[in-house]
Amino acid sequence: MTDSSSIPAAAIVERPASRPATARLSLAQRKRIGGVARTLTILIVALLFFGPVLWIMLTALKQPRDVYSLSVLFTPTLDNLRAAFASPYFLGSRTLNSLIVTLGTIVLSLPIATAAAYAFSRFRFPGGNAWSLGVLATQFIPPVIVIIPLFIAFRSAGLLDTRLALIIANMSFVVPYSIWMIKGFIDAIPTDMEEAAQIDGASRLRAIWDVVVPMAIPGIATAAIFAFVVSWNEFFYALVLSRQDSVTLQVGLMGARTERGDAWEIMAAMGLVIILPMLILSRYVQKYFVSGLVSGSVR
Amino acid sequence: MASVELVGVEKRFGTFTALQRLNLSIADGEFLVLLGPSGCGKTTTMRMVAGLEEPTAGDIVIDGERVNDALPKDRDVAMVFQNYGLYPHMSVAQNIGYPLKVRGIGGSDREARIKQAAEKVELGPLLHRKPRELSGGQRQRVALARAIVRTPRVFLMDEPLSNLDAKLRVTMRAEIKHLQHELGVTTIYVTHDQIEAMTLAHRVAVMNGGAIQQLDTPEAIYDRPANLFVAGFIGSPPMNLVAGQVVGDTFQAPGVTIRGDFTGASGKVVLGIRPEDLSITAPGEGAIEGHVYASELTGEAILVTVSVGDARLIARASRSFRGSFGTPVGLKVDLSKLHFFSEATGHRIDIATQRKAA
Repeated sequence: MTDSSSIPAAAIVERPASRPATARLSLAQRKRIGGVARTLTILIVALLFFGPVLWIMLTALKQPRDVYSLSVLFTPTLDNLRAAFASPYFLGSRTLNSLIVTLGTIVLSLPIATAAAYAFSRFRFPGGNAWSLGVLATQFIPPVIVIIPLFIAFRSAGLLDTRLALIIANMSFVVPYSIWMIKGFIDAIPTDMEEAAQIDGASRLRAIWDVVVPMAIPGIATAAIFAFVVSWNEFFYALVLSRQDSVTLQVGLMGARTERGDAWEIMAAMGLVIILPMLILSRYVQKYFVSGLVSGSVR
Repeated sequence: MASVELVGVEKRFGTFTALQRLNLSIADGEFLVLLGPSGCGKTTTMRMVAGLEEPTAGDIVIDGERVNDALPKDRDVAMVFQNYGLYPHMSVAQNIGYPLKVRGIGGSDREARIKQAAEKVELGPLLHRKPRELSGGQRQRVALARAIVRTPRVFLMDEPLSNLDAKLRVTMRAEIKHLQHELGVTTIYVTHDQIEAMTLAHRVAVMNGGAIQQLDTPEAIYDRPANLFVAGFIGSPPMNLVAGQVVGDTFQAPGVTIRGDFTGASGKVVLGIRPEDLSITAPGEGAIEGHVYASELTGEAILVTVSVGDARLIARASRSFRGSFGTPVGLKVDLSKLHFFSEATGHRIDIATQRKAA
């Protein structure tokens, strides 16, 4: 892939206009008008997407009395953030919970999913595809139904209101999808290389680690990003399975709906913390996706 | 370096029998080529020696030791794959050094051996490159270097030249032959290309339908094919095969009457004549009568296809041959170069004169 993928959309749009005007004037004008129209459209769409994010950012910095005004000119304050980190919102410990649950889910899910994906990709099972399809089929059951037995199981195991319970609950949907994502990548890797590695003296496990995993990295990375996004944003299981100690950011957000009404400025401050990792992630992930697509197979 | 023996090896995939009761013994230092059309079981045979497939029955013996249950890594064989099987995320040096790395050979010893192997296949200046930055021929050299970097007991090569262009194939063929001679490692080489088989092998095993049709030196396979399959498979263009019958001292088929001492052959047979053993004469002077169907200049000769009865025979004529479509011609045969096969079984029938020679 060329550099054009990393150039912002606006730059691509403007390129025809900046080209030396060798064509007739009318054509150049038409091109310019077209360029302006496209830029406008992109701006409108961008505004639609970024408007809410902007609102959260601004509101988080507003005094409570400014919240309901649409003005952009106000004296910014960090009071809201300070309040969110204090009692009764405990933003700090909630963030920690979210981080631990999310990272724990990723760290535990990926090795399991990679191993399962390899097995589904390379071995023939009695019953054929039924197993790999069955793994996916579990996802057709609505969480509302699964949560009841899960709740009872965690209660009898003494795991209610622990991060481990949330990690396990997250894995129940992260692992199946990850298996299928990674399996697609492993399917595309020819068996030659791992066979070569085995003849060269590696055990099967070593061949997988040395040859298959490095080549499946784009797939594993995709699964990791997926796992991060869905576990970070997970709300329902966390709502039911946590009470006090393991409350995550998403559930904590509800704490701002007090008897005295909704504390929008506090919610916005929490929202900032929720959005932040996604912004950082998307900054680096894009690069990874591109490099993943380019690294083709060797033949 | 070691001998390899396959004893009654069978391979079945479900109900399909890929290999039936294969017996094959390869001497220490021998270059054996498994030759056959696709699906004949030659690659399966090699993969079983490598340990990538398990035989359904029979024993695989390397250097007197039964290795059926040994993992590929414990068999001490090296393999060159058709698609090279290089590790795309590793540099050339890392690719070549991988067999040493997994064996725990590190540091300067590994460096030295990588360099030595790379020099043997003329890869010296490319060691830091990635496989995707190499040409097909260079990739093949990396695969070869990876195979020779440790001295394995057996080399296995699975159609290593089939992804290269024609010119490069000739060069690499010579290099492989030279390398094998220099290292003296027992080699099993799989190909469907008879030229590769003829040029490289000490012995060729011609395979078809999961069984060895003939196992012999290239000369013997060319001069005395054991059955109709081998006769038709070896040689380019292939041997002419004419169904007819031998009555007394005469072979007869539509348009063909050949007299000679055919003691040993009788009744319904198939006659085989190689194109170079047929020469074109004026009509009425040869044993075979026909007319020119087509003529093709190959460079050093002209291949003339002659319609005889309802069959077509190919003769190799000198470049001076001039005959347009439909010209009547005669074909003279070299009586000492005739091959007879039983029509019923397809097996070779040695006539009296050949038996003496053999």
